[in-house]
Amino acid sequence: MPSVAEAEPAIGFYTVEQSEFAGWTGGLLVLNASGRPLEFQCTLPIRPSRAHEILYGATLREYLIGDAIGSLLISRCRNIPRMICCDQPEGLQLDVHAACPMMLVCEAAETDEGPISDDMLPGYDRLELAGSSIRVAAERSEEAARLLEHFRSLPDVVEPFGRIREAIGEAQKQVARARSAAA
Amino acid sequence: MLDGIKVEIDEAISFVSEDLIDVRIFELSVEPIDSKAFPIRLKPIELKSVGYQFPRAGGGVTVFRNRTVVGQADGTTSQSGNPTVGPGLGVVGVKGVVGGQIGSIAVAGSVGTAASSTGDIDPLPSGGNRTAVPDFKPVKPKKLTRIRPPADVVKLEDRLYYLLQPPLELLIGSEQLDFPFEPFPYQLDGIAFLFPRYAAILADEMGLGKTMQAISTMRLLLCSGEVRNVLLICPKPLVSNWLREFSVWAPEIPVAAIEGSAATRQFQWTSPDIAVKIANYELLMRDRECVLDQDQHFDLVMLDEAQRIKNQRNSTSVIVREIKRTRSWALTGTPVENSPEDIVGIFEFLSPGHLRPEMSMATIAKATRDHMLRRTKDMVLEDMPPKLYRDADLELTSEQMATYEKAENEGVVQLENLDQQLTIQHVFELVLRLKQICNFDPATGASAKLERLVADMEEVAASGQKAILFSQWVNSIEQMKPALARFGTLEYHGRIPHKQREGVIKQFKEDPTKHIILMSYGAGSVGLNLQFCRYVFLFDRWWNPAIEDQAINRAHRIGAAGSVTVTRMLMAGTIEQRIAAVLDQKREMFDELFSDSRTPSSAGLSREEIFGLFNLRSPKGKIAA
Repeated sequence: MPSVAEAEPAIGFYTVEQSEFAGWTGGLLVLNASGRPLEFQCTLPIRPSRAHEILYGATLREYLIGDAIGSLLISRCRNIPRMICCDQPEGLQLDVHAACPMMLVCEAAETDEGPISDDMLPGYDRLELAGSSIRVAAERSEEAARLLEHFRSLPDVVEPFGRIREAIGEAQKQVARARSAAA
Repeated sequence: MLDGIKVEIDEAISFVSEDLIDVRIFELSVEPIDSKAFPIRLKPIELKSVGYQFPRAGGGVTVFRNRTVVGQADGTTSQSGNPTVGPGLGVVGVKGVVGGQIGSIAVAGSVGTAASSTGDIDPLPSGGNRTAVPDFKPVKPKKLTRIRPPADVVKLEDRLYYLLQPPLELLIGSEQLDFPFEPFPYQLDGIAFLFPRYAAILADEMGLGKTMQAISTMRLLLCSGEVRNVLLICPKPLVSNWLREFSVWAPEIPVAAIEGSAATRQFQWTSPDIAVKIANYELLMRDRECVLDQDQHFDLVMLDEAQRIKNQRNSTSVIVREIKRTRSWALTGTPVENSPEDIVGIFEFLSPGHLRPEMSMATIAKATRDHMLRRTKDMVLEDMPPKLYRDADLELTSEQMATYEKAENEGVVQLENLDQQLTIQHVFELVLRLKQICNFDPATGASAKLERLVADMEEVAASGQKAILFSQWVNSIEQMKPALARFGTLEYHGRIPHKQREGVIKQFKEDPTKHIILMSYGAGSVGLNLQFCRYVFLFDRWWNPAIEDQAINRAHRIGAAGSVTVTRMLMAGTIEQRIAAVLDQKREMFDELFSDSRTPSSAGLSREEIFGLFNLRSPKGKIAA
């Protein structure tokens, strides 16, 4: 597996889709510095059991997004991203599992979360990439600022999440078709 | 810790007995948890993932610079980790979209092997007109044009390949794909439509930029390595136009027209350094052996003015269908000229067997929907100036009237006398003769149309504008020249040698004293850009509306300076008026193919309708087709 230093600089985009029908599906798209796709990983849809829902309660979402799904996808990557953008605040918890900094793209998160203000994420610094505001843990802020220099030619850091959702939707359709054919 | 799942107890809640509500009131039964029930075992959430690698390192992609092949891309980056940069310029990224061979999907974490190359290409042709952008700041576009997989792509990994590509606007915006002019949004839609398709017709109305869309898509495919060699087949007069358009829209791609001596052509056919070979239809017969050689294969064959192969039985169509190829595209503004069988003929090239002649219009429309894209100027009107029709219904001069009536009466009698020996050819001959009289009286040269034309040209010339006139007959053009001489007349038709034609267009464009160009439909209705003209005169009308539209769109096209006024000259009470009614019916048929309407309409100009232009009767009754 190539090391981060040797490989072409890559940036990851991570999101998790949840629906009543399909369950939870995570996707991680790895792009190069120009925004072209290098790798895509996605989980098959999962549906936590009732026991999990009771046990985790309100923390289930955080557990799935910030731990279970994200850590699996990152561990499967062959193109190691130097940083990973997410559009869900829960994704920031992956800092523990990922060697690289996790960053929240505010503009992408605001669709579901509403405006991201400073008091919502205490201990997170604000940086900028491709014209969008991003939040990164304060202790990784310097490292992130250095790494961002590799990705200055990225045109857009909001649009890749749309690609992931479409890809997840496509994968879900195929799984559903396969299941109904098997049934 | 319970079976690998960490459970944290955040807080403990204790109750004081006085605070508890008497259970008897609510009939709650609270039983203590049996200690043997601990620890609670919870089945972990099973997670599986699938991975998809886009091609990375390796050879296989041709690198273009200054229209020559300079080598293979290996996807390496510079020491700094930035994409390959060119001499003296800032980081501008790499061109094209990553493509190539698709990696395999695996379940439960293992990922398919990488294959092929990145498609990275040295983006900086030397001597180009690009400027350094050291502090490039990308601009986010408002609309994003995504490449969508067509319906016939079913495998998940193939569909994901297209869905995960960046939007076209971002490729352009980041200077990964340098365009001399910003494409219109619908043109990006056209590129996104063509890119993933192995069988496609781009049937945009003339003047909307089919050439640019086709060239740009070819460029993306070539740069990404999805195609390596392309054969473009077009009418001979358009070869130079295509070469010119390539130099504008894809200057780095090696392009060559197949021409010259037999030895030269054979070399060109087999040269691996020419990524795009342009051949004309007429050449295919002569170079049949080269084109159909068993070692000859094209990743993409594209036909311009594809209606040329609508007749499946002609030799050109036969040869074209036999060319070994992976992708088949067709460009035409008139996929249906006369009948639905036209499009069946084109699809025999694109996807043999996909259409059958006996299919209804509605079935054909449904079957072609995913393979054909057509936009009209009305659909993209916000980008185009208006087109104003001004039908000039004129009365024959007295001389013309006398000649016309005599010719029609005598002609009809002759046709009736032929009785069972009457053929459609006889009817056509009479129609043409009458139409010619509508233009000019053969004996005196009198012409109501010319009188009107001269009057209109006074205004056109006085306002400094330019006009195009179309006629079916070169003789009519010759006859009108003296009266129009003072407006600075130029001609462009079959009797003008090919070598002079380019100069005629140039003079018409640049010489302010030349206000009108006289063209025949055949010579002037394809491939010419005359968008500086504000006036179009149809001195006489063609048999089908598609050709007329082509003619009009010489002026009404992208880049037109303003509105275009179209004057259609028609003699009232004559065969021209009756033909016009039939032409309107044919428009209905054409529109139905490209609409969602399921209601069948009239089939167009049938034998019955042609015969019906004259109420032919014999002693046995009405003469039918």
